[in-house]
Amino acid sequence: MTTDNRLEALREAVAAALADVEGVIALRRTPYGDVAPYLFTDSTEVANLVLEPRYPVPDTLQVIQMAHPEARLGIVLRGCEERGLVETAKHNQVNLNNVRAIGLNCTAEDAEFCRCARPYVGVWVTESVGERVEGVGDARVEAFLALPQEDRLSFWQGVFSHCIKCYACRNICPQCFCEHCALEQDIWVEQGVIPPPFPSFHAVRALHTLGKCVGCRECELACPAEIPLTTLYSLLRRDVQAMFGYETGMDLEATPPFLARLEV
Amino acid sequence: MVSETFEPRIVGFLCNWCSYGGADAAGTARLKYPPNLRIVRVMCSGRVSQELVLRAFREGADGVLVLGCHIGDCHYQDGNHRTSKRMPILRNLLGYLGVHPDRLRLEWVSSAESTRFRDVVTEFTQTVRALGPSELRRVREREVVA
Repeated sequence: MTTDNRLEALREAVAAALADVEGVIALRRTPYGDVAPYLFTDSTEVANLVLEPRYPVPDTLQVIQMAHPEARLGIVLRGCEERGLVETAKHNQVNLNNVRAIGLNCTAEDAEFCRCARPYVGVWVTESVGERVEGVGDARVEAFLALPQEDRLSFWQGVFSHCIKCYACRNICPQCFCEHCALEQDIWVEQGVIPPPFPSFHAVRALHTLGKCVGCRECELACPAEIPLTTLYSLLRRDVQAMFGYETGMDLEATPPFLARLEV
Repeated sequence: MVSETFEPRIVGFLCNWCSYGGADAAGTARLKYPPNLRIVRVMCSGRVSQELVLRAFREGADGVLVLGCHIGDCHYQDGNHRTSKRMPILRNLLGYLGVHPDRLRLEWVSSAESTRFRDVVTEFTQTVRALGPSELRRVREREVVA
């Protein structure tokens, strides 16, 4: 199925959903030609709905719900965004009870580009547009693991040395919602140093994605220095699954490991 | 220039209720253990955040030892439950960053286990001594020179 088919099907699905909800959050091409998240409330507007470029719309859901907690909203979600919302919901940032989600399954090219293992919805979203394609493995993670142990430090030093500390990775991250960010505290990350002190900045950020990061790759796409951030986060996500049996974003009920007691 | 004998700097975060008591008991009993350990008393091993451990490494520690109450004995019910999850994953992160994971160790030591305290510290000091100066310490020294 081509992108165009998906787009038409999605516009129809959004227009149909508008009969049920007060508004649907999706990407819209503005009259000025750029693309931004938008709350579609009228079915005549859906002609401006677009799929690209990608932007994490779950943040918009959070913002609207803060102002209107009772509103019944719709939202268009990719597979990664759906799984990310599972985690934000567990951390009480959004309420999914009153949300009608329209899934948008990614194409094989998207999956290839994102090195995505699960480019489709289906954890809690039942309605979806586009054919489900199989996921792909992450060759970068495998390539990293093939590095000898003594080369790892210089590998990260090399890529982190390009960091200009713009905080784009944190700002775009749908899972970063703390009001007081540890990355801005001198005690954990010395301030006023560029590139940020190795490895504090990136290690602290990696630790704060634990049990929350679903690997949506927004940080990596936003990074102007092209740091392979998700290689580190994917490794840790894999470890969280191996150690605690917790697959991030895949279960609405399971308690995140770092919020749960041990079972003794 | 390489010194003939490398003496590791080890930071120990000891929980007030169990492990610090254990260390105290070891002192009272005149048990001998290596002097490389710099002890920081914390109210609970659950207070030892991963950032704190990273900071210790960043400041030049060659090893970090976190000691807490045995599971089930925590003064705050489940503080050590949190530590028991944080430290293993932090070890993995250190490994990915190129720092030997064995530089971080989490052990449970009760206030009655003075000999266990001695054994853990002795053994950990030997481990870190064998590993040599911390990989991050070398990075830091280069940064200061630059």
